[in-house]
Formats: sequence, C-alpha cells, structure tokens
Amino acid sequence: MAHATATVDMMHPPAPAERGLDVYNNKLGMWVFLASEVMFFTALIGSYIILRFGAPGPWAPPAKVLNVPVTAFNTFLLICSSVTMVKAYAAVADGETHFLRFRPFSGGLKFWMLATIIGGAMFVGVQAYEYTHLVHHGFLPSGAREGSEVAELVASGVVPAATIGLYGSTFYTMTGFHGFHVTCGVISMTYLYVTKALRGKYSRHDYRGVEVIGLYWHFVDLVWIILFTIVYLI
Amino acid sequence: MTTVAATSHVAHAHHDDRSFLRKYIFSTDHKIIGIQFLFVSLFFLLVGGLLAMQMRWQLGFPGKPMPGGGILPDTMAPGGVLLPEYYIQLVTMHGTFMVFFAIMPLLVGVYANFLIPLKIGAHDMAFPRINMASFWSALLAGLIMLAGFFVPDGAPRAGWTSYAPLSARPDLSGASYGQMLWCVSLVFLGLSSILGSLNYITTIINNRAPGMTWFRMPLSVWSLFITAILGLLALPVLSGAVIMLLFDQTIGTHFFDPVAGGQALLWQHLFWFFGHPEVYILILPAMGMVSDIISNGSRKPIFGYHSMVFAIVAIAFLGWIVWGHHMFMSGMNPTLGSSFMVSTLIIAVPSAIKTFNWMGTMWRGNLRFHVPMLNAVAFVAMFVIGGLSGIYMAATPVDMFIHDTYFIVAHLHYVLFGGSLFALFGAITYWYPKMFGKLMSEPWGKVHFWLTFVFYNLVFFPMHTLGMAGHMRRIYDPTQYDFLKPYQPLNEFISISAFALFAVQAIFALNFILSLKWGKKAPQNPWEDNGLEWSLPAPAPHGNWETVPTVYRGPYEFSSPQVPEDYLPQYRKLPTDREPARTPVAGH
Amino acid sequence: METAHRKHPNYVLIWVYLAILTAIEIGVAFMSHLPKQIIIPALVFFAVWKALLVALYFMHLKFEPRKLLILAIIPLPLAAIFVLAAMSEHVW
Repeated sequence: MAHATATVDMMHPPAPAERGLDVYNNKLGMWVFLASEVMFFTALIGSYIILRFGAPGPWAPPAKVLNVPVTAFNTFLLICSSVTMVKAYAAVADGETHFLRFRPFSGGLKFWMLATIIGGAMFVGVQAYEYTHLVHHGFLPSGAREGSEVAELVASGVVPAATIGLYGSTFYTMTGFHGFHVTCGVISMTYLYVTKALRGKYSRHDYRGVEVIGLYWHFVDLVWIILFTIVYLI
Repeated sequence: MTTVAATSHVAHAHHDDRSFLRKYIFSTDHKIIGIQFLFVSLFFLLVGGLLAMQMRWQLGFPGKPMPGGGILPDTMAPGGVLLPEYYIQLVTMHGTFMVFFAIMPLLVGVYANFLIPLKIGAHDMAFPRINMASFWSALLAGLIMLAGFFVPDGAPRAGWTSYAPLSARPDLSGASYGQMLWCVSLVFLGLSSILGSLNYITTIINNRAPGMTWFRMPLSVWSLFITAILGLLALPVLSGAVIMLLFDQTIGTHFFDPVAGGQALLWQHLFWFFGHPEVYILILPAMGMVSDIISNGSRKPIFGYHSMVFAIVAIAFLGWIVWGHHMFMSGMNPTLGSSFMVSTLIIAVPSAIKTFNWMGTMWRGNLRFHVPMLNAVAFVAMFVIGGLSGIYMAATPVDMFIHDTYFIVAHLHYVLFGGSLFALFGAITYWYPKMFGKLMSEPWGKVHFWLTFVFYNLVFFPMHTLGMAGHMRRIYDPTQYDFLKPYQPLNEFISISAFALFAVQAIFALNFILSLKWGKKAPQNPWEDNGLEWSLPAPAPHGNWETVPTVYRGPYEFSSPQVPEDYLPQYRKLPTDREPARTPVAGH
Repeated sequence: METAHRKHPNYVLIWVYLAILTAIEIGVAFMSHLPKQIIIPALVFFAVWKALLVALYFMHLKFEPRKLLILAIIPLPLAAIFVLAAMSEHVW
C-alpha cells in the first residue's frame, strides 16, 4: 500500500503554490494603469518627436518663445512635491501619522501629504500663469497670433515661421495633458487627505491609499522630468 | 461520487437584499456587468447591421428608392434614394459601431467580465466599482457616437479609420460636429477599455483560486488575459491620437495638417499602431472560447495546450510590429514596408499552430455537435479562409493590387463575422445557462446556425471576386464605371443574400429573448464541462462561491481513464489528488 | 498588510541629486557653448538618469518583486518600436 501511494505521489506532484505577485491588488492595479499611461504619453511625446524630426524647417529655440526660468522653478516645485510624497509614505509606513511633532522635530503623514497637495496645486497654478502669459504674448496652439509679440519674432526670423504652428500644437498638448494629470492627482490626494488621512484611517498596518497615490504622483513627476528636458531645454 | 465533490463548493444562494437598481442597473457584480454589456452590445450590433443593410441596398440597386427609406429625412435620403453624403456616413458608422461597440464589447466586455472570475475561482473582479465605471463609460461612448446622426451635418464621414487630413478638417469632410463626437466618443471608449483591462489583468494575476496555476487556466482565460494586455497598451495610443485629431478640428492645432507642417501619415501610424493590436483584441478572445468549446465538443483534451498558450502570446507580440501592413499604399518608406511584410507573414505561423491544434483536438474525438460546437467549427473554417486571404495581402505587391477593394472587405468580414461573430454565437449559447439559468433552444439554434452559415458565405465569398475586379471599398455607385458594370448582377446577388442573412438573425434574437422566459431550465452543468463555473448553480449567485473551490487539474480532462464519466472537472477531488499548498492570497 | 520593516533609503539625498541634475541640465542647455550634437544626448542622458532615480527610489521599484519590474517596463520597447519606425520616414 505504501508503495502504491509513493507511485501515485510521483505521478501527482504537489500542486505548485505559485499564485499572485505578492503585491496587493490596488498597487498592482496602479502599476498596470501606469503602464497604460506610458502608452498614452508615448502617443503624445512620440508624435512630438516624429513631427520634430520631419518638420519642414528648424525648430523654434525654446528660450525665445517660452519663459524657461518660471518653468525651471516649477520643475523644482514638482520635484519637491515628489520628495514630500515619499516622505509621507515613509512616515505612515513607520506609523507616524501625526501632523508635526516638536522636540525632536518630525513631520508625520498629515504634514507631508498636505505639503504634497500644496506643491501640486502650486505647480498647476504656475502652469496656469505660464499659459496666460504665453497666450497674452500671442503664442497659441495654432501658432502665433497676428499682430502679437510672437508674430513679430516670427516676422523678424528669430522664430521660424514654418514650424511655429507645430510648436504650439505639441507644446500645449503635451504640457496640457501633463497639467491635467497633476490636477487629477491633486484632487484625488485631497480626497484621500480629507476622507482618510485626517480621520486617522491610515496606520502602519494599512497605508495602501498613500502608497498607490504616491506611485501615481511620482509617475507624473517622472513624465514632467522627460517633458521639461525635451520641450524646454532641447 | 461525482456530485458530492461538485456540490460541496456550491454557494448557498445567500439572501440578497439589494434593491433592484443596485442589483441590475448600478451593479458591481461582474456577472451583471457582463450581462449589461451583452444587451448593450447586441443592440449596437443590430444598429451596425441596419446600417449595413442600407449600404447593401445602395450597392445592389444604386439610385433606386429604398423600401422604407421614406422615413429618412431629406438630408439623408430624399424620396428614399440614399445620398452619397449619407452613404459615406453609413460606411463610417457601420465600421465604427461593429468594431468598437459590437464585437469588441461582446468579446471583451461580456466574456472577460463574465468568465474571468468564474473560471479562475474568484468572488468578483479585483476592483468591482472600476468595473462598473468601465461599463457606464462604454455605454456613454456608444450613445455619443450614435448622437452623430442627429447633429447638424450628420454623422462622421471619414471612414472608421478617420484618415487625416480628411477627418482633421471639417471643410474637407463636410462633417463638423459628427467628426468631433467620433473623437469624444472614442476617448470614453478608450477609458472604458483601460479600466476594464487593468481590472482583468489584476484579477487574473492576483485572485486565482488555490491550485489554479498559470498552466491550469482555461485557454479562454489565457486569451482574455493577453487581450487585456493588448487593450491596456493599445487603447491609450488611440486616445492620444483622437485627442490630437480633436484638437486639430477644434482649437486649430496642426498635427495632421500637411499645410502647416503636420504629417497626415502620422495619423496612420498612430491609428494602426493601435489598430493592429485591436485586430487581435477582436479575434483572440474568440480563439480562446472556441478552444474551450471544441475541446468540450470533441470530448478530448485540447491538443497542444502549451503551444496554444505560446501561440497566443506570440500573436499578441507580433501584433505590435506589423501595423505598417495597413499602409503599404500610403507612400511609406519602402524599407519599412518590407520589414512589415516579413513580420506579418510570420504571424501565419502561430495562427497555423492554433488551427492545426483545433483540428488535432477534433481528430478521432467523440464529437458532439451541439450548437456551440457547430459555431466553433464554423469559426475554425472561416478563420482559415480569412487567414489565408490575409496572407495574400501581407505581400506588398499583391496588396498594391487589392488595396482598398472589396477583397479587403471580404477578408475582414471573414475574420470578424466568420471568425469572431460565429465564435460569439457559440459562446452566447454555451454560457447562456450560466447567465440566465435557462437553455437556448437547440433545434432553433441549429436552424439559425445553418442558415447563417450558408447566407454568410453567399454574401462574403463573392466579394473576393468583386475585389479582384477592382470594386472599390467605399464606392457609392459601382455602375458609374464601365469595368464594374458586368459585376452588377453579382452585387445584386450579394445584396439579396445580405438581406436574407440579416433576416435569419431574427431567429437568434427570438431564441435569445424567448428562452429567457420559456427556455428549458438549465441543469448545473449542461455541457458536462470541466470549468469552475459549472460548480455553481445556474444562474450563478452574487459573490459566486462562499468558499472558492480548490483546483486539482487542468481544464481539459475529458475522457480521463481515472473516472467512469468522460469528463473530470477541475474542482473534483480524486483520492489521489493532493491539496495544493495554500499561499496567503496577496489579493485581499 | 504589515510589511517586513526595512530601512527607508535616504529620500532627501535623492531629492538633492534631482535638484542638482536639473541645475546641471539648465546649465548645459543655456550657459554652455557646446555643439547641439553633444548637448542633446547629454540632456537626454540626464533626463533618463533623473527618471530612473524617481522610478527606482521614489516609486521603490528597486525593492519590488522582479515580476513587477518586468510588468512596469513592458510598454517601453513598444514605445521605442513605434517612435523609431515612424521616425524612419524622415531619418533614413
């Protein structure tokens, strides 16, 4: 009998236990979503690269049309909000869900999350300021507005006339959709802050919401790192 | 012995005190969402069919007043005679509805939702509320698209592919609002697909029942998993592209307008980079479900299970690097054209592996030709014809001759109608008992199958001839060319067959609707199948199982010598089976 | 979901890196007189470096299961294939 069982055992090895990714659903779902976001930005950024390579003339120098110092500040702002986000995650993972504690001085989840929300909101604000400024100077998604400052630059040949239309199209679409993503992030983070963080729903045992929104937030930061380089610097 | 193991997992239909609205309308239950998708996409299938009938009238009898065409306004068909402007709207909307709102949601929306949790042994999707959002977003997208017919200038007119600059400039296409609605609608559709896909992927990775290893998953789940990956990565590209197109139409950007430095070809690249994976989204789930049905109907394990899985993966990967074969005639870089030709021809290999595996499964099987099996076998046959004509087109020189002719129309209908839709008729009949607790009528199902099969071939096979003769794809009146005049009787024949094909679908519709009430009450496992879903009562209760079943083997153990019956369900524990090692479920 | 406690990486240091790299980028782009053929690859290099810092540390990909890393980078080759193929119209 024992012999028979042994034979059967060889025919039926214990079912392997591999199942799942050892990552909880919300986090896995967010990563899967981010994979699709990569493809969305591929469509936008890829089109920009393709249009720029096939452009019927030289591309306008960014510094002549855009306000690079303001955006450089904005980039710094977004990097700061990214580090505050990750500090919020580290704080809640260590069980520090307070706002601020003095002696020794330490920020908790509520502080760092609020700082992130403020940083994100400021980024959107600065971008809105930048857009109004650019439109005021005559830089539109369709190109240069007639009789504006940018139109004069085009007329004087500082900014190539053949590509200013493409420049406007790609600039506003890429940065606009990035701004839209930041706005979505700020709104959802505010929602989590008010309904969860402030009510003490997060602890070192369950901080999934903080981690997941953090992933989204860092991804948006990462996209901006790429966009800033290829739109404002190159 | 059989029943003991089977019933031990049956959930006792626990008392369900949700209100009607929560239960059937704003439901987060994956089965209800699947059924909602089923009704909505069958409606859009009907809409797409009605549009096709009008096109066939114009092609078969150009310039004659259409019977019943008097109800259409003068901007569409004055006196019942279709206007060219209206005809091109029909072409555009037929393609759009069939691809985006009928076949895609029927395959993915319905069956990914309905089958994945049932077949892998999960209580529900990983994110039920996101799932609900996915359905409502798809419905919204469909309604926005339908609204195109009721706005000034009518529906979009640039074809379902919306080639720029025609689609990008209202002054060229003559449709302003309709074309914008097309873009807006597809943004919502993209959102719906992304939300759906991330749900399916997460659920399959994380929420499988104990013992349900990757290579014990049914091929339907495998194909839906790979399809979800395709949808997840392809649809955002479409969203990005249609947003740029929308901006071109509305705020004056120049992405696709060559006059201001944009590239018309960029649209084609973007569209087909999405579009070719989309083609596989429209066929892979059908292949998976057909594999399940054929194995069941042959009472044999599927032939070459692992090779089937790897073929799905290979097709999905190759699907990303072949999009240029839609663009051989676009003036694209010829070097690029040759590489796309080679990669396209390679796709024939995994497709042939699948076809031979289906035949190998049926070979010497104890065949049971129930209605799902008939449809599944028809799928294989029609897919072979459509696949072979696909290989013709993959060769650049041949494609130059038949590009944008009725040969293409024949090819795509052989894979989309002959392939996906036959598989769907089979799948709907097969899982109908688990959805509604009733069986569809077997004799009427057979009548419907044979009539559809005959008329379908009478409609689409002659289109190959038309295409070889140079009949253009979106032409309004073929008789305006002398070289097409001799083919007019053939066109007439196709049209009459098409009307017959449409008419016999009434049998299916009636069978579907009447069986809801008067159908035979379904037993728990009407097809004597092995999948986990058959361990549940019909219809399956909310939450599926109280405790998820344990899986002891693969899904295709038919005619196993270990048991007297010719099927051995995945959830049935034999004395020789060991309990799988229980891992902590990461999912919850 | 109590995770095994690991020491957090020094996030502030990553932040300092990112800020410095951004400053270098701006310097290279506007204050140097290097030819474009050097500036552009250099800027792309710095951007990728920053992006990697964010992905590996802030999104803690470095500490995740290998399978999740694979899942995260699946879209990248597809994106590259698309851009390179469509660009070939104009480059070659």
